[in-house]
Amino acid sequence: MKMSLVVRTTTKLMSPFLVAYAAYLMIYGQMSPGGGFQAGVILAVSVILLVVSHGYRSVKKRFRLKEVGAIEGISALGLVLIGITGIIFGGFFYNFLRGYWSGGTIPLFNIGVGLKVGAAFVMVFYIMLRWVESD
Amino acid sequence: MIPLLVALPLLFAFLLVLVDILVRSRRYKARLTPALYLLGSLLPWSVLLASCRDMPLDEMVGGWTRAGGIEVALDGYSFYFILGTVILFSAVSLYTIGRFRAGKEYSVILLMEAGVLGAFISRDLFNYYIYMEIASVSAFVLTALSDEKGAKKAAFRYLIFSLTASYLFIFALGIIYLKTGYLNLELVRQNAVPSKEISTAVGIAFSALLLKAGIFPLHFWLPDAHSKASTPASALLSGVVVKVSVYGMILLLYALPVTAALRRALLIVAFASIFAGIVGALSQRNAKRLLAYSTVSQLGYILLGISSGSIYGAIYYSFAHMLFKGGLFLGIGSLADAQGTKNLDELSYRGSRGATATVVLLSLALTGTAPFVGAYGKKLILAHLTGIGSFLFYTAALGTMAYAVKLNYHLAAPGRRGSIRTAVPLTLAALTLAFGLYLNPVLNPMDWLLLILALGMFLTLRKTLSGLKPFSFRPAEEFGREINMHMTIFFLFVLGMMLIQRLQ
Repeated sequence: MKMSLVVRTTTKLMSPFLVAYAAYLMIYGQMSPGGGFQAGVILAVSVILLVVSHGYRSVKKRFRLKEVGAIEGISALGLVLIGITGIIFGGFFYNFLRGYWSGGTIPLFNIGVGLKVGAAFVMVFYIMLRWVESD
Repeated sequence: MIPLLVALPLLFAFLLVLVDILVRSRRYKARLTPALYLLGSLLPWSVLLASCRDMPLDEMVGGWTRAGGIEVALDGYSFYFILGTVILFSAVSLYTIGRFRAGKEYSVILLMEAGVLGAFISRDLFNYYIYMEIASVSAFVLTALSDEKGAKKAAFRYLIFSLTASYLFIFALGIIYLKTGYLNLELVRQNAVPSKEISTAVGIAFSALLLKAGIFPLHFWLPDAHSKASTPASALLSGVVVKVSVYGMILLLYALPVTAALRRALLIVAFASIFAGIVGALSQRNAKRLLAYSTVSQLGYILLGISSGSIYGAIYYSFAHMLFKGGLFLGIGSLADAQGTKNLDELSYRGSRGATATVVLLSLALTGTAPFVGAYGKKLILAHLTGIGSFLFYTAALGTMAYAVKLNYHLAAPGRRGSIRTAVPLTLAALTLAFGLYLNPVLNPMDWLLLILALGMFLTLRKTLSGLKPFSFRPAEEFGREINMHMTIFFLFVLGMMLIQRLQ
């Protein structure tokens, strides 16, 4: 399912900006409105837009299901590991980077949550499309 | 330290997903997956054993203040829930090892363990809600993964009702947050002033949790979901997941003003659930459905403890129910898997001594007979009942024994054969006896008297019972219409609970 040339070009133009905006929300989430979840949703939208306009088959060649799954797993693992590392410094989820830079571990959590949420949404979309396109 | 109880299974759940994706070689995968799975489900033991000596423990996650952070605790309220969960998950992980194809099923079980343990340690209403949801979502997935006919439908029904209840629960939490300004349990308790809004919130939250616990008028999703899931999944669903809502009710009762009228209503609902479960179990021909209806009845006992003010009775009975119902589902489930049927007339434990011992011991534990683990909780609950309550309690005990006798009567008859592994359920049966001796090492002649009475009653009424049509609560034939009807019942129930809580 391919859409018209206009739609395809527009979505291709839009997607990189969406990624940049998602990155901004992740990195500055601790000081301005935004944060991991919102950033992740926008990150997922950048891929989902491409899927809607170009079709699942051509997008999955660039963003493979396995890679998306790997990003999801690694970011989730990272989140739990940051939480566990805090135990060495005084408690689970202890903010052990406080004072080194703004927010301490919070930006790391935002990045982790953003990647996890983005990958998970793309994965949900992929799996539903795989089911739709198979028949 | 305490949050590690949650973090370790979660860590290994994600590791399992990664191994599934990243490891190419099939040989390494087949070795790594069971090892990681066992580690994830057994490592919480180390945290529990290391910290149970300094109980009661109380911790703010990340060292934040009480008003802004998440409080977790390991104390008299949560210890037995956590102990039972860890025991049952270890048993199920030893049972399931090598039975699933992909790593994903294993990781869903670990996610469920993380969710359940997270709910049991939390002393923060919102945190409790989040972890309850993690446990419920894994439960939907595990139900839907079963190969049995109708399992997808059962999972869908479970999902619809459970999620509706969740949304109502989070709505009630919103009202509580609006009125008190906090979500921390202790701070809510200090700041909650009886008002119309708080009353509404308590009514809604209680009915949502009653649905998730599968108490009688709201139990319609439970028999299908629990009986059609695969054997280890139904042990977890019946043993652990419904207890999460029991813990939630205990938290609500601790933190918020609950009126005497609502307590009385809960008492009536509890008795209704006990007897409806007994009638349902007595009329079933399917072994797993019998156990599922028995869960409805047993959850009624736990609610009886909560509503009559015997919180510790409810906690000990929940612990007991985790052990024996988990064991029964594993034992009878493996029997059914080996013999390829769930029909009570065809199933038989005659060929296997292990299966016989397992089912007989666990059935005795189910009836709450004295040296077994259920007796202590029942004793505590009974101490809070007076007059007609204790009379009904003994009648219910008689009914429970009747369906336990029915189960054993049919299984002891000759039937199909098949080799089964019973090591894990037999261990659980031994544990019910061991914990029973530890908690309450006395014999109660009343129990044995009732048991003999139940045996006699069952043998005389056997003919009538086998003529009964399997009891099922189905207002409409068509699936969508049936869901609508049940939803209507649920919302009427919510309205009723809200109005009752407003009565002073």
